[in-house]
Amino acid sequence: MTKILFSDKLDNCVERWKSGGFTIIGPVQRANISTYAAVEHAAELDFGLVLPDRSIKDLFFPQSEPMLRYTIKKESIDTNECLPPAGPRIIFGARPCDASGMSIDDPLFGWDYKDEYWFQRRNESVIITIACTKADDFCMCTSLKMAPDTTKGSDILLRPLAGNKGWQVEELTDRGREAFSAIADILQEGADTLAPLAVVEKKFDLDACVTWLQNPENFESRFWKEISMRCIGCASCTYLCPTCHCFDIQDEGDTYTGIRRKNWDSCSFALFTMHTSGHNPRSTQSARWRQRIMHKFNYFPGKFSVNSCSGCGRCSRQCPVDMGITETLQEISTLSL
Amino acid sequence: MSIEEQYRTRAKELLSGGAVKMVIGYGKGTTANRRRPLFISSPDEVERLVLDDVCITNLSGYLVSEGLLSDEKRVAVFLRPEGIRAINILAAESQLDADQIVIFGFDVNGNEVQALKGIHVEEFADVIGSIKEAAPEAAEEELFEKIEKMSPQERFSFWQEEFAKCIKCYACRQACPMCYCRRCIVDSNQPQWVNTSSHTLGNFEWNIVRAFHLSGRCVECGNCDRACPVNIPLRLINHRMAEEVLGAFDHFSGMSKTQEPVLASFKKDDSETFIL
Ligand code: SF4
Ligand code: SF4
Ligand code: SF4
Ligand code: SF4
Ligand code: SF4
Repeated sequence: MTKILFSDKLDNCVERWKSGGFTIIGPVQRANISTYAAVEHAAELDFGLVLPDRSIKDLFFPQSEPMLRYTIKKESIDTNECLPPAGPRIIFGARPCDASGMSIDDPLFGWDYKDEYWFQRRNESVIITIACTKADDFCMCTSLKMAPDTTKGSDILLRPLAGNKGWQVEELTDRGREAFSAIADILQEGADTLAPLAVVEKKFDLDACVTWLQNPENFESRFWKEISMRCIGCASCTYLCPTCHCFDIQDEGDTYTGIRRKNWDSCSFALFTMHTSGHNPRSTQSARWRQRIMHKFNYFPGKFSVNSCSGCGRCSRQCPVDMGITETLQEISTLSL
Repeated sequence: MSIEEQYRTRAKELLSGGAVKMVIGYGKGTTANRRRPLFISSPDEVERLVLDDVCITNLSGYLVSEGLLSDEKRVAVFLRPEGIRAINILAAESQLDADQIVIFGFDVNGNEVQALKGIHVEEFADVIGSIKEAAPEAAEEELFEKIEKMSPQERFSFWQEEFAKCIKCYACRQACPMCYCRRCIVDSNQPQWVNTSSHTLGNFEWNIVRAFHLSGRCVECGNCDRACPVNIPLRLINHRMAEEVLGAFDHFSGMSKTQEPVLASFKKDDSETFIL
């Protein structure tokens, strides 16, 4: 016997959590885009999506974030730090690849400097993930040694019951247990059949790719130019990616007063790593694409022992020229034979 | 012989004879309804070229890739009429020499692919002329009509909601053959003309700047609209601006390689007393 949350009781849970001070966030379709956003009622949530177009990253690392306000006076400079709006949140219905993406980025944001913006939001969020029962052609969690029911990064994993009746509850962390203790009386005991998990075909041999990438001889391989010739440098892949985390710090305002912001940046931009002299160590799109792959599957794991990719497939799904991590790694795994 | 086969044969001839150094076309994509840009430099590879009703992307932007045409060799490219118009504009704006471009013209009606006759851009004048005649109605859709009927306030709210989604990835710019500036105004930071942040103001600034820079130049190929990862209906803005320019100046972009850029030329007998 396990704990079951029935779908028709979800709205009671939402009410309960809301009265406990939580903001409820989940997958929704709004203005012709699917994303994770705050809702008032369970009915607004859309559980039919393979996964939302926008990733869960936006909830922890927004595209533009105020850091401080400054005023420069004759004798002094006044600064006022801005911290993210506080308040506990429940993210209900994250996908496993989105939840794991957040835990992939934790060591990065906590490495030499502890990024308060990231960790405040991380500590205030309970991630309730729903295992996937459907996948599309671009899903590739299994190629990254994860699965449609990976628990990594989640506080609770819900396994869908057959017939969309509800979910079997798997409590993973104290934070998750605490959130679920508030709705303990709404849950029921049961032994209902689970819906079968999505079948996600393995697309490449990750270990073979990593070995190839780690070989310094391949840094200058012709492969990089050939594979990325059609890349238009549009940054969609990085901006939709749950694990891409580059940002740029910009001051907005005039000489005397303004606001300092942390804005997303992308290695696919021609301006990325451009020096003030005008020299750019990655002056071509192929060097930039190589950076993206090397960073995710060589440098990042070298430092943090985890690949910077959760296999959500967004980079390939959305690419206007049908490129993406999948194709590149598929090609690399054939090169390394 | 299907058009696909005809064009493969032609590509093979041109590449083997050295008449062109590269053919830019379409290849198979990840799924059945996706095609990806393909660059063929060897006659042995022409079999990889695909031509069917899902070949949508306007490939003309690749022609202005840094250095591609600087050796003065010819390049062949698969283009729909919008792409051919783009060549005219790029030539008129001195971005390329139209004589270097060999066109594999095609159009799609329903799901049928038709070959467009001609090789050089001048030979497609009739095709472009007939699109001009059909243009005002062609691109219109329900949403466009709906927005036209809105009050200015409602229209503003509509775009506010749409632009709120913008993440400033600049995919619209990168996908656009007309956005060839090596340094876009939003990338200039001495001074910083346009905020880099994607907040309400920054998103409005960006989308308005782009709408103005594309007025009278956009060929309505739809690349930007399809590339936008957050589905902002950019095509509606482009179409509205194109209509405006057509009405005010009888200017239909990309008619010929010598057509004057409408917003960058001034005539003494202009009905306005100033230029923007
Ligand atoms: S990649 Fe895997 S975890 Fe992500 S949505 Fe697809 S099936 Fe689910
Ligand atoms: S989405 Fe595609 S075209 Fe855009 S930067 Fe990424 S790989 Fe390049
Ligand atoms: S690299 Fe691609 S597949 Fe991997 S997490 Fe990012 S968007 Fe998803
Ligand atoms: S603005 Fe959009 S539709 Fe117009 S030419 Fe550029 S990409 Fe094509
Ligand atoms: S493609 Fe869309 S989201 Fe990206 S900058 Fe353009 S309008 Fe904004």
